[in-house]
Amino acid sequence: MSAAILTLRDLRKSFGSTEIIRGVNLELQPDERHAFIGPNGAGKSTVFHLISGNLSPTAGEIVFDGRRIDGKSPQSINRLGVSRSFQITNIFPKLSVFENLRLAVMRPRGLQYCFWHRIDRDAVVREQTERLLEQVRLQARADTIAGELAYSEQRSLEIAMTLASDPKVVLLDEPMAGMSNEETAYTADLIREVTRGRALMLVEHDMEVVFSISDRISVLVYGEVIATGTPEQIRNNASVKEAYLGEEIA
Amino acid sequence: MVALLAVPLVLSPGLVNAAIQMLIAALFASAFNLLCGQAGMLSFGHAAYFGVGAFATVHAMNALGGAGLLPTPILPLAGAVGGLGIGLIAGWFATKRTGTYFAMITLAIAELLHALAPHLKGLFGGEAGVSAMRMPALGLTFGSTTQVYYLTLLWVLASVVLLYLYTLTPMGRLTLGLRENGHRLRFLGYDTHKVSVLVFAISGMFSGVAGGLQVINNEAANYVLFDPGLSAAVVLNTYIGGVKAFLGPALGASLMTFFGYAISDVTQSWLLYQGVLFVLVMMFMPAGLAGLLGAARALRDRHGTGALLPVLVLAAAAALLLTAGTAFVVEMLQRIFSQDYRALAGANAAAPWPPVKLLGRSWPPATLTTWLAPASAVAFGAALAWLARRRLHALERRRERDASGAESTTTAEVAGGAV
Repeated sequence: MSAAILTLRDLRKSFGSTEIIRGVNLELQPDERHAFIGPNGAGKSTVFHLISGNLSPTAGEIVFDGRRIDGKSPQSINRLGVSRSFQITNIFPKLSVFENLRLAVMRPRGLQYCFWHRIDRDAVVREQTERLLEQVRLQARADTIAGELAYSEQRSLEIAMTLASDPKVVLLDEPMAGMSNEETAYTADLIREVTRGRALMLVEHDMEVVFSISDRISVLVYGEVIATGTPEQIRNNASVKEAYLGEEIA
Repeated sequence: MVALLAVPLVLSPGLVNAAIQMLIAALFASAFNLLCGQAGMLSFGHAAYFGVGAFATVHAMNALGGAGLLPTPILPLAGAVGGLGIGLIAGWFATKRTGTYFAMITLAIAELLHALAPHLKGLFGGEAGVSAMRMPALGLTFGSTTQVYYLTLLWVLASVVLLYLYTLTPMGRLTLGLRENGHRLRFLGYDTHKVSVLVFAISGMFSGVAGGLQVINNEAANYVLFDPGLSAAVVLNTYIGGVKAFLGPALGASLMTFFGYAISDVTQSWLLYQGVLFVLVMMFMPAGLAGLLGAARALRDRHGTGALLPVLVLAAAAALLLTAGTAFVVEMLQRIFSQDYRALAGANAAAPWPPVKLLGRSWPPATLTTWLAPASAVAFGAALAWLARRRLHALERRRERDASGAESTTTAEVAGGAV
């Protein structure tokens, strides 16, 4: 095994006296697709918030590419190469789809506090934006106001925004929520394709997707990882069956 | 554009001076709207940056023994630097918070300056303020209102063009992103605090230019520049003009400044009218005057000017009658409640109230006929407004009928062709 791109060491998070994350350990390989599953309230999204800098851990370490990132600001974590989507769609609802993606593309291109040239004259930004639009099949909706898109289209848009910075680690929080079967199938293929050569961490409730996409799966219950392994190992793990999967997989 | 250039040639000096005020207010509102409309940060203390720009300019004029730090035509640069500097400092603190807390911090900073200024004699000249002289430069004396007008026009146009170009840059797009969803921006790698401080400072900078122009026009600056009234006026002007359109705030500010100039001589209730107007705009056309123009254009495109003309005439007449009726009542009441009149009426308690002079006539306040005039104006106005509404609805219905009619014709033709 190569060196892990992202390591969680005894990660803990408390809100007041309630400990939500109770010592999570994980080593994510640079090209691994890793899913978190677990019942509602297990702390899957909280782990994402800790890694992405939305929350600071109470204790423990998060190491990305040999560097401690726990407690850093969301923007510095994103700039290092960890990009995330949100469980509740988090886009710019009153701006056009194109504008949403362009905002995501601008920063990695080095354009932010720049008021000396016109954004629509920047061919690279436009091409990258159009390429991402095409990738998530939204090119026909480029001029639509993002808030008026169908829910599943908004999810696709957010995936594209997350990928715009060409991150080394991608965190997707329930990307398929609210999608039809056809859309789910397409998005699963899309996720496979766009995360090639990157590490992916995925929270998803669609078990079919989870088991088909993932190289490894971690089962989180009450803030603790009760099992980590290949889909096959997880499927056959007795304590996982008891705690979570039940008849769903059997 | 031509009209703006021709102002000093056709108008009296008093009106040219009013035009200068309108231009300055337009720039101030545009600078404010960068922060308020585009970045979504509502500042309640923008007089601070206008005022600091003004004082920076007045000191630049007096520097070097009155010769001036800069030649007169580029003096507003001093205002720009002043506004930018104070904007960076105040913005760094204020943008640590958003929403209500942001607004409160901006209010507090402006109040701080307003309270401090009269005590700092060296900097703000105490209660008397600081005065200065426009020095000749480039062969121009800047002694006449006309020359000051053209200087102001040049600076305001250049600033507004720059503010517009700003919206087309990466930073300008980022500003909209900040308004829509600052949280998401952070997870795209942007430092939103830095972005906010920059937007704040740029808004402060252009407000400072407006303040500088004011000083060049008045040749004086006084701590009253920090008055909360000025901070409030720019908020009202901007919203009345419409925050969503780039030129909306400039439109609102120039119109309100003009009304202030034209009407404050005629009535003491100008502030009341301003307030009523603001409430009406917020209630019935939250997109402001610019939104009203946009809606009118959309209607014209739908129905054509010819069909729309009666509706517009009716609506205008209704607005006129409603305004006239309301204004009459306000003016009557204002006179009846004035101290002079109270003294007059109280002098002889037994006699009926003496008549009130308004519009060159005497109106006895205790008779029905006096109040019949405004009441009928309001009633007619309301009736006309109702008629205008009905006509508009009729137009909409006819359009829908035409649309479905056209559809059924084509179906019939197709059916005929098939036969």
